[in-house]
Amino acid sequence: MNHPTNVKLSLSNSELWGGLIGLALGGFVIWSGMKLKLGTINDPGSGYVLFYTGILMCVFAGAIILSALTEGGPTLASRWENVRWSKPLLLIACLMAFSVALEPLGFLLSSIPLMLLLLRLIDPVRWTLAIPIAVLVPAGMWWVLKRLLLIQLPSGLFGIG
Amino acid sequence: MDTLVNVAHGFGVALLPVNLLYCFIGVFIGTLVGVLPGIGPISAMSLLLPVTLSGTPESGIIMMAGIYYGSMYGGSTTSILVNIPGEAASVVTCIDGHQMAKQGRAGPALGISAFGSFIAGTFALIALMLVAPKLASVAIAFGPAEYFSLMVLGLVVLTFLTQGSMPKALLMACIGVVLGLIGLDSITAQPRMTFGRMELIDGIGLVPVVMGLFGVAEVLLNTEQTIKRDIINTRITHLLPTREDWKASAGPVGRGTILGFFLGILPGGGAVVASFASYALEKRLSKTPERFGHGAIEGVAGPESANNAAAGGAFIPLMTLGIPPNVVMALLLGAFVIHGLQPGPLLITQNPGLFWGIVASMYIGNVMLLVLNLPMIGMWVQLLKLPYNILFPLIILFTILGVYCSSNNVFDVYVMIAFGIVGYFMRKLGYEPAPLVLAFVLGPMMENNLRKSLILSQGDLWTFVQRPISAVCLVFALVLLIAPLLPSLRKKRELVALDEGA
Repeated sequence: MNHPTNVKLSLSNSELWGGLIGLALGGFVIWSGMKLKLGTINDPGSGYVLFYTGILMCVFAGAIILSALTEGGPTLASRWENVRWSKPLLLIACLMAFSVALEPLGFLLSSIPLMLLLLRLIDPVRWTLAIPIAVLVPAGMWWVLKRLLLIQLPSGLFGIG
Repeated sequence: MDTLVNVAHGFGVALLPVNLLYCFIGVFIGTLVGVLPGIGPISAMSLLLPVTLSGTPESGIIMMAGIYYGSMYGGSTTSILVNIPGEAASVVTCIDGHQMAKQGRAGPALGISAFGSFIAGTFALIALMLVAPKLASVAIAFGPAEYFSLMVLGLVVLTFLTQGSMPKALLMACIGVVLGLIGLDSITAQPRMTFGRMELIDGIGLVPVVMGLFGVAEVLLNTEQTIKRDIINTRITHLLPTREDWKASAGPVGRGTILGFFLGILPGGGAVVASFASYALEKRLSKTPERFGHGAIEGVAGPESANNAAAGGAFIPLMTLGIPPNVVMALLLGAFVIHGLQPGPLLITQNPGLFWGIVASMYIGNVMLLVLNLPMIGMWVQLLKLPYNILFPLIILFTILGVYCSSNNVFDVYVMIAFGIVGYFMRKLGYEPAPLVLAFVLGPMMENNLRKSLILSQGDLWTFVQRPISAVCLVFALVLLIAPLLPSLRKKRELVALDEGA
């Protein structure tokens, strides 16, 4: 069964979601601006520009929503059609895991597995090449930064690196 | 006479061994990223922004500038040989360049592209040398109202030229302004949108934002598909164009150079628009427009000259007004700021060594590029065979290290990863990051100038209209904002709108 790729009044309309996120962000910026005090036009306060930028964001988001509802827009699924969507998803998961591991494990212990995963996940590099690259490149960079440029990289709870 | 003395002084700075080395590194990396599809000058410059910290301001900025104009040269190689633009400004070169290569004329196509680029680059530098000091002396008279309106115009032009719908681009610009305002208010020192995080008191850094949006997001997007390359395998010979080639190309090179230079100066414009405009102009002027698209050398000579001239012209608003006209120049502004320098009307008088040193280094860089792109073309062709499955993980690792080294702060790595993920989804939903980045850089300056002008005029909004330069900028901005509402202009906009970040 063929699904339509351009929809109007549907929750799968990606343009509608984009506009709604923009609207929510605009609302938040307006609120932040008001909280910071607007001041007067003679003496604008810290929230003055934020407040009016928030209003503009809502206006533009409104235009996006209006266009999504009247002209329609591609469905969320069609945005990822005919592409290897799992690859960027895996990469995002790796990056998130890396960001969680970076401080407790340190640079070396977190970047070597990250490199190995990336080398094997994107378009698998053979193990005999992936392992040396994954180990030697982060170790080499660590050596250059720490020994030559005297930049302290995170060493983690185990103090490695 | 003064100009000659200044140029001599500039060459004194640019010819220092360390600056020559940085210039070479810059043009080499520029050519490299120009050649490699998927990595543009913005990604490369954001990757190397932290490296500029290690040397003098002159060295760092010379290298960054080299990456920009170097990528304009390198981009044509991939367009001609592989039919994939190495960077956005070379998209149009694919049309006739690759056809020429298929007909066994890759050599003359590469040759005219390099010579055209050299001529245009040299002209742009001479014009930069002559125009910049004059404009800087005029710019001293600019008040906050003029600066504010000019920045508004720059942002509107960029959003007008950005691919996709204009409300989306404008929304991105607004988000950029908001992100730029995070941190302490420069007037009242009140923390804004810091959510109680000490790391946000100084605001979000330009390096993690740009590396995330252009480096990480670009890799995420590229992993979606297997990059296929149809490289012309025949030996590349006869790089020097024949007399007939020169005869056909002289006009396009000249027109492309002048057109590109002026389009480069305009805020929001740049190399991409210049190359397309030049192609359209040549096709219109040609007595045999049907040859275009089938290997017309004019279709390579004009756009390649235009994009290089525009790259040179883009330095004028940055150096004289302190306003970056595009994202690449915003990054260069970042490099200035990292070194505690503020480009603007006073830069040329207060720091002549820096200004003239950069200009002179560009002459030297252009000569280096000619050598790198003609006799060494074989090396770049080999590089096109570099496997992406190894390159992408390396880029990710370098972005992480680059961000960490720029601030010695793990928080910036988190910010970069977050912006990388957000940038990927933004691009998938058709939101371009270029207006966001330019607004991120201009946001604090715009706010400062707006508040100053309101305080000075005691809240009189007419101050923006009563001052002629400010009024002209605002009128242009308004016209561009209204233009997409008219169907005929909307179609024209869609024709020129491009992905600046590619």
